[in-house]
Amino acid sequence: MTPKSVNTEMNSGADPLSSATIDSALRSVGSATPAPGLEGRILTRLATERVRLDAAPARLPLSARLRQLPRLPVRALGLVAACCLGFVIVFSTVSHSRRVGPGHVVAPPVLVLPGNGIGAASAVHPAAPASAPVPASPGSRGRSARRSGPGRARIAPHSRKAPGVAVPPPSADKPPSDSQD
Amino acid sequence: MSCFEGQLASWVAPAPVAMPLDTTRTIAQLVAEYSTALYRVAFSVTRNAAEAEDAVQETFLRVLRHESRLGEIRDYRVWLVRIVWNIVLDRKRRAKTRPEGEDLADHARALPSSDRAADASVISAQERDRILALIDRLPVREREALLLSAVEELTTAEIAAALRTTESSIRSRIFRARRELAVLLEKEGIPR
Repeated sequence: MTPKSVNTEMNSGADPLSSATIDSALRSVGSATPAPGLEGRILTRLATERVRLDAAPARLPLSARLRQLPRLPVRALGLVAACCLGFVIVFSTVSHSRRVGPGHVVAPPVLVLPGNGIGAASAVHPAAPASAPVPASPGSRGRSARRSGPGRARIAPHSRKAPGVAVPPPSADKPPSDSQD
Repeated sequence: MSCFEGQLASWVAPAPVAMPLDTTRTIAQLVAEYSTALYRVAFSVTRNAAEAEDAVQETFLRVLRHESRLGEIRDYRVWLVRIVWNIVLDRKRRAKTRPEGEDLADHARALPSSDRAADASVISAQERDRILALIDRLPVREREALLLSAVEELTTAEIAAALRTTESSIRSRIFRARRELAVLLEKEGIPR
C-alpha cells in the first residue's frame, strides 16, 4: 500500500501555507517511528504472557462458565427443577389442608325429618338464634341524651333577636313558659 | 427459499468447521506486519513514545487472550486499530491530568531522518507542539478522524471501519477539522 499524504484527501480551502503547517504537524505524529526492537519486545512479552496463561488455568467468571455448559443438560436441569418446585407446592398445599382438618369446618344444621315419607321440604328446620338487644354499657349514652344540667335555660340580656319578636324579660321567680303566646 | 426453510437449513446444516489456526504464528505475523502502524495510531493520541509502545504491547496481549477469536476476524488491521484506539483513549481518559506528554525527544524521533530537514524548514518543533495543542481543542469526532488520517497506513475506509462510521462521514469530519484548525491558527497567530 502506498502511504497517503496527509493533505491529499482533504483540503479545507484554507490557504496553502496553513495547510502545509497542519500537514507538517500531522506528519510528525502520523509517521512516528518506534524505537528499534519494538517487535522483539512485543514478542518477548507475549511469550511471557503465554507461559503465564499456560501455567495458570483460566479462571472464567461464573456467567462464562455457565455459558460453556452444554445446552441439553441445562434444559434438563431446568425441567427437573420445575418439577421439584411443582411437587413442593402440591405437597405443601395438601399437608396444609390436612393440618387444618375437618373439625374447623362449620357443620350444617341438622334437619329433623318427620319420618312419614314426606320430603325434606317439609322437614323441621332448626330455628335460627333469636336476636337479642345489646345492653348498653354504663358509661355510654344515647345520641339524644341531655348534656346540660337541670334548671332553665338562660338567655343573655343583650342577645340579639329579630325585630317584632316579643320575648318576655327574664325574671328570677317565674319559670319560662313553653309557648310564646 | 422461504424464511422458515432458511432457518431449517441453518439448523440442520453442520456448523462450519473452523480451520485449525496456528495462533502463535499468526500473532507473530500480526506483530511483524502491524506493530508500527499501531504504534503510530497510539502515538497520535499519547504523543509519548513509551506510552504508545505500552499501548501496542497491551493490544497484542489482548489478542493473545482472545486468540480463539482470531479465525473469525475478517480485517486484522481494522480490528487491531480499534483495539489500540480504545486502549489509548481509555488511558487518556483515566490520566486526564497529564497534558498529552509533550515530549520533544519523541517528536525528534517521530520524523524519519530523511523528512526531518524538510519539515524543519516548514515549522519548528515549538510550532508543531502548538499546532498539536490546537488539535486537542477540536471537537472529539473531528479530532479523532484527523489524527487517524495522519497515520500513513490507514485508508479512509479503514478509519471509517475503526470508528464505526461511513467514509463520507470521515471525509466531512476531516474537512471540518482542518477548517477549524486553520481558523484557530489564524486566531493564535502562529507564524507560518
